[in-house]
Amino acid sequence: MLDPTSQLFDRYLDQPQTIPRDLRARLENACASESVQLYGLADLDSSLRLCQIWVALTANYFGIARTADRMIDEQIRVIERSRLTKVVEEPGLSCTVAHVLVSNEEHPFATIRYSHRQRQAVSHVLFAIQQQLEGEPAELIDNYRQSMVRPIKEAQASVNTSRLAIVWRLLGYLKPYRWQVTLGMTGASIMTLARLLPPLLTAHVIDDAIRPFQNGTLAASAAWQLALVLLAGLAATFVVQELAAWVRLRTMAVLGEHVARDLRTEMYDHLHRLSVSFFSSKQTGSIISRVGSDSDRIWDFIAFGVVELSLSFLLLIGLSIVLIALDFKLGLIMSLPLPLLLYLIYRNGKTMHGFFLRAWRKWSNLTDTLSDTVPGIRVVKAFDQAEHEKRRFEDRNESFTDECFRIHHVWTGFWPVLMLLVHLMTLLVWVFALPRLLSNGSADLTTGTFVAFLLYMGMYVYPIEIIGQMARLLNRALSSAHRIFDLLDTEPQLVETHRGIQLTPLQGLIDFRDVTFGYDRVRLTIKGISLRIEPGELIGLVGPSGSGKTTLINLLVRFYDPIGGEIRIDGVPLKELDIGSFRRQVGMVLQDPFLFHGTILENIRYGLQAASLSEVISAAQAANAHDFICRLPNGYDTVVGERGHTLSGGERQRVSIARAILHDPRILILDEATSSVDTETEHQIQEALNRLVAGRTVIAIAHRLSTLKRASRLLVVKDGRLAEQGTHLELLGLENGIYRKLHDMQLRLNEAHAV
Amino acid sequence: MNQLILTVDKAGRLRLHGENGPVLVRPIACFPWSSPGEYLSLRDTDDWEVALIREAQSLDTASRAALEQALAQASFVFEVNQIDSVEDELELRVWKVQTDQGPRTFQTKLDHWPHAINGEAMVVRDLAGDLYRIKPHSLDPKSKELFWAFRE
Ligand SMILES: Nc1ncnc2c1ncn2[C@@H]1O[C@H](COP(=O)(O)OP(=O)(O)O)[C@@H](O)[C@H]1O
Ligand SMILES: [Mg+2]
Repeated sequence: MLDPTSQLFDRYLDQPQTIPRDLRARLENACASESVQLYGLADLDSSLRLCQIWVALTANYFGIARTADRMIDEQIRVIERSRLTKVVEEPGLSCTVAHVLVSNEEHPFATIRYSHRQRQAVSHVLFAIQQQLEGEPAELIDNYRQSMVRPIKEAQASVNTSRLAIVWRLLGYLKPYRWQVTLGMTGASIMTLARLLPPLLTAHVIDDAIRPFQNGTLAASAAWQLALVLLAGLAATFVVQELAAWVRLRTMAVLGEHVARDLRTEMYDHLHRLSVSFFSSKQTGSIISRVGSDSDRIWDFIAFGVVELSLSFLLLIGLSIVLIALDFKLGLIMSLPLPLLLYLIYRNGKTMHGFFLRAWRKWSNLTDTLSDTVPGIRVVKAFDQAEHEKRRFEDRNESFTDECFRIHHVWTGFWPVLMLLVHLMTLLVWVFALPRLLSNGSADLTTGTFVAFLLYMGMYVYPIEIIGQMARLLNRALSSAHRIFDLLDTEPQLVETHRGIQLTPLQGLIDFRDVTFGYDRVRLTIKGISLRIEPGELIGLVGPSGSGKTTLINLLVRFYDPIGGEIRIDGVPLKELDIGSFRRQVGMVLQDPFLFHGTILENIRYGLQAASLSEVISAAQAANAHDFICRLPNGYDTVVGERGHTLSGGERQRVSIARAILHDPRILILDEATSSVDTETEHQIQEALNRLVAGRTVIAIAHRLSTLKRASRLLVVKDGRLAEQGTHLELLGLENGIYRKLHDMQLRLNEAHAV
Repeated sequence: MNQLILTVDKAGRLRLHGENGPVLVRPIACFPWSSPGEYLSLRDTDDWEVALIREAQSLDTASRAALEQALAQASFVFEVNQIDSVEDELELRVWKVQTDQGPRTFQTKLDHWPHAINGEAMVVRDLAGDLYRIKPHSLDPKSKELFWAFRE
């Protein structure tokens, strides 16, 4: 059994899964028999044609091995890593050029070129060289195969699933509802089979009652009696048929809702298991549509699709059998062309696919305009571009409509032609039947049988139409199911322990030990930070933007796990802590606080649902929020968040501080909590924060250094490293210190404003 | 403005020869699609602009050749000359094509459409970020048919 990565590789990438074995052996030979630890493929040669040039690192060597192809023989060149001086990468539109330099800059050891597909793996090799040059050898983790399939995996997490496998998995969700399924399918089968009865009964009425009476071979009373019995049978059949239809529709519709609900719950539960990293890589919209509309389509599929489709086939087969049993020759005329009809429907589906693609594309164009201009309407108006936008929309609308016309043109043409074929079959039946009906004497075809035949033929059209339509529904349901399973199959990147050590109460001792971290596992964002924060300390975290401050916080609350080193809380490794109990004792106030859709009361209570109203008010008072909340028409019951009352940035900030105060965390994190507000509001927030800070471990990130004067210690982060630490005065004392520079700059800025 | 002198070395690296001796530069087209031949920014190794060339014509022949050679790398994209198959799978569209650079298989998301640039050509971007230029009019009939759904 191949692992998923190999499967993806085989299916989607036209390049070797690993560096070829004998090439590798010869390369290692050239590198004093050291083994290759890291490699990548440079897939473009100097004239920018596709080729295979492997770049590889061993402990002490860097090597380049070009696989022989039609143009060129195998080439292997190696160099000691200690002789390399620099690596320069020049990214282009689709080709990155990298120079690996030695002391003589005029003659690089190698210049390699590669497409974006190879970039991560090759960059990884070059990065390792660079790190070594900077005196910080990185861990060498071979990521060639992983990096190659990552983009594909991100687009399609459940690997290589066949449509059949998806249907099976989907049907698996019916298992808990075995009883209902059986009921529904039985109803459906009875309904279908009952449909086959009325023509037979009709045939009997004609042949056994009406005709004999007309010929005078049957007395009127007997004919009436028989006819009435058959009529009663007919009525009973209709009743049974519709009863079965009712059972089927009801059971399956309800069943569909059950399955859709189960899927939604499972997805939502799963979402909460996933790490924060998942939510930054997938768009919110796509997650929402999976839980929402995709599960809705599954309802369609379960409630109607499965049943209708299987019944249509059942009906077609049943019809063919009955027709052939009724009259062998005529039956064959009707049944033999069936496969042809189904094939035509299939072909038509294929042709339509291209048309639908075009329409879909034009439709995205159209909706793009909308999703651009509606949120951006203020820009449109400010630049007076309404006319331009209207024209753009009109053009796209027109071009979408054109595609729709084409589609209608094609399908409207197809169905009449198909139906004409069906009618042709009917005509053929007549042609063959008439001589037999009109021959006197040995009538081997009775009128009744023929009428039954005609009635059956009328039933042919419906299942064919259904099969034609269901193909599309089925396809859509399948891709929905695929997206759903895709989400369910995504594994959380870090394992959250919910049965770990509980520290209650937390002391708030934070200990980072040589922590390294990178979001993409290639570039390090945090490069070996060690720090210790004592319980009750107020720490100011400063540094240029992009230096990794927020990342440090993300690591502290375990949104991500470090790739090297360890974080300990109160002496216990973070990984062993019960994550829920830990996070309940950590409070965060972020720069752009997020309020949920709901009342202010609900928002303040978010972390502690059981808080009393008076506790809520004290928290709001402490956050300097009580007054402005009371000024709102609905007080604490004012609905905020999306669609609700819009609070200003500072107001939202204070609500979120109240939330944190009520939460009463042992460790409090303020990530640029006051950066986006005016001085007056900042003053109010600052006041609130000062109250909040007492008696807990606090880490505050701030742009305005003035807000951090009270900090017991300041940590300066730069480029993912801890550059300086000490009190405000100590840091000011450092000649050429980063903190001092930042401080002086802000001072000058303030003076400039003051003038 | 002084005449700019550019040279290119064996490795294909471009050098700008100014008053302070030669500096390594790399060219970036400011408008790689709408006007690829004009407004070329020469960047030094720290990615700062050292010169902006409005049109390559203003350079002497040797410099121009050097610039064009360096530019060929920076603005390289795959040139598709034949389409062997385009298949929609779940969530992915798989393209098998022949390019001027050799045969290539790539994938796009289902709703990532090729977009038109400059009238003649269309560009599609694959999952890894590589770009493919397709000229619908100069394709063979079979490729044309396969590409039909994506053309204007
Ligand atoms: N979710 C993410 N995925 C990838 N890179 C990220 C992510 N968040 C931040 N980064 C990168 O990490 C670096 C540090 O970011 P951050 O910690 O937010 O800086 P700071 O908070 O100090 O301004 C930046 O270069 C940023 O681009
Ligand atoms: Mg930040």
